[in-house]
Amino acid sequence: MLAEETAVLPFLNGVRPLVRYPQKRPLIRLTTRPPQLETPFEVFDESLLTPNDAFFVRYHLTNSPPRADLLQPDKFRLTVKGKVATPLTLSVEELRTRFENAEVTAVNQCAGNSRGFFQPRVQGGQLGHGAMGCARWRGVRLADLLKAAGPDTGAKQVVFNGLDTPLVPQTPDFLKTLAVDQALEPGILLAFEMNGEPLPWLNGYPLRLVVPGHYGTYWVKHLHEITVLDEPSKGFWMDPGYRIPDEPCGAIEPGTTPKRTVPITRFNVRSFITHLPSGTTLKAGKATELRGIAFDDGHGIREVLVSADGGRSWRAAELGREVDRYAFRGWTLPFTPDRAGKLTLIAKATNRLGQSQPMEPLWNPSGYMRNCVEPVEVDVL
Amino acid sequence: MSHHRFFVSALSAVVCIGIVSAEIPVQPRKNPFAADAWRLPPENPVLKPGEGLASVTGNCVLCHSVDYISTQPPLLRAQWTATVEKMRAKFGATLATNQVPGIVDYLATAYGRKDPVK
Repeated sequence: MLAEETAVLPFLNGVRPLVRYPQKRPLIRLTTRPPQLETPFEVFDESLLTPNDAFFVRYHLTNSPPRADLLQPDKFRLTVKGKVATPLTLSVEELRTRFENAEVTAVNQCAGNSRGFFQPRVQGGQLGHGAMGCARWRGVRLADLLKAAGPDTGAKQVVFNGLDTPLVPQTPDFLKTLAVDQALEPGILLAFEMNGEPLPWLNGYPLRLVVPGHYGTYWVKHLHEITVLDEPSKGFWMDPGYRIPDEPCGAIEPGTTPKRTVPITRFNVRSFITHLPSGTTLKAGKATELRGIAFDDGHGIREVLVSADGGRSWRAAELGREVDRYAFRGWTLPFTPDRAGKLTLIAKATNRLGQSQPMEPLWNPSGYMRNCVEPVEVDVL
Repeated sequence: MSHHRFFVSALSAVVCIGIVSAEIPVQPRKNPFAADAWRLPPENPVLKPGEGLASVTGNCVLCHSVDYISTQPPLLRAQWTATVEKMRAKFGATLATNQVPGIVDYLATAYGRKDPVK
């Protein structure tokens, strides 16, 4: 057998194989069954839209992704049921033709993106920064579909189920819930296209939920069942799964246990330097360009500041065009190191609400929502 | 022949780019309905040898591959105990009560650490 290429994530036990999956270029494999694949960080410097073949993959249940024959157009149907006036059963083609099509360019990010950098380390998928990506999603509005079904006046919650299933019946199925009021907002899509192509198998083909500004846990893949309830749902993946401390920033003292928890919901502000990479060698007096990405939960990025002295002084980067307030926002900054030595480059974004990034990491026991600045170390000769 | 020369220069270009680029060409887009587009790579990760390994592979591997274990940072015995208990109580792992200590022993030895702070 050919030796596998490996990637090394910069934390203890961070060696991972690079493995090629269907419709994917070789990606950083975290787990094999069910598959969890991370995007190599260089990809984020290549374009502000993450290519489909490089987009991260995250599953929870053993029988993932669902078998191909369950997903084919002649077989796959979406049903809307529960507390509705008119239950619906639709093929993807019927969805596409019966409802107005809509698009959003939005970041999807795993709640546990960057978990491997937590100190003290926490259990869970030991991810670098590659469980995020930005794509142009096309589909129909969830609100339009729900209105066509007509939720009862007492409807409270909407439950989403994909075709991925557990192996043993005791394992809780992966169900996610939104409040009816939120589900009727116009921004949430049932997407069948990603960057102008059908969704890749491993990203939810043929239909997935797109909840802009919200962590990927809500973006149910292979979505085939929407159930309207008139009572709160009690699913494992809403409680106790995917919860954060009920504290500002979802953070508590490292190593402690939260008193109360709430479901994780929206992204915080993040930014990354995608160029230059850590370990780069520069020449004093020679001009180069720093660039990177920033994003938040849809308020939009107002400012990216960059420091080349570990945070003592800052310069404003030039922001690229805002393609969509939910998308990666590119930024650039011309940079000429003035003397030899080690440099710490830091980018720090602020959104239109004034929310920004902490200089030091925050902590919670599940390893969710890391958003501190991510310094890059370079050598200047 | 020009054909031949093209082949040689293409090959040397690949060599110049280096191993990583040569091994990672962008995959041509596949017809999503072709049978070979739906085949997952083999499950090849393995665990470190150790006493109790058979009990781990006999139980845990029913539902997930072993890289769920091997990619964790070194964990305290209490953390591995909590994880095995979560698998039993929340995820329905059908472990006999007398199998739990052996599994925890293996995990705490092969993928554990002793110091409480890190």
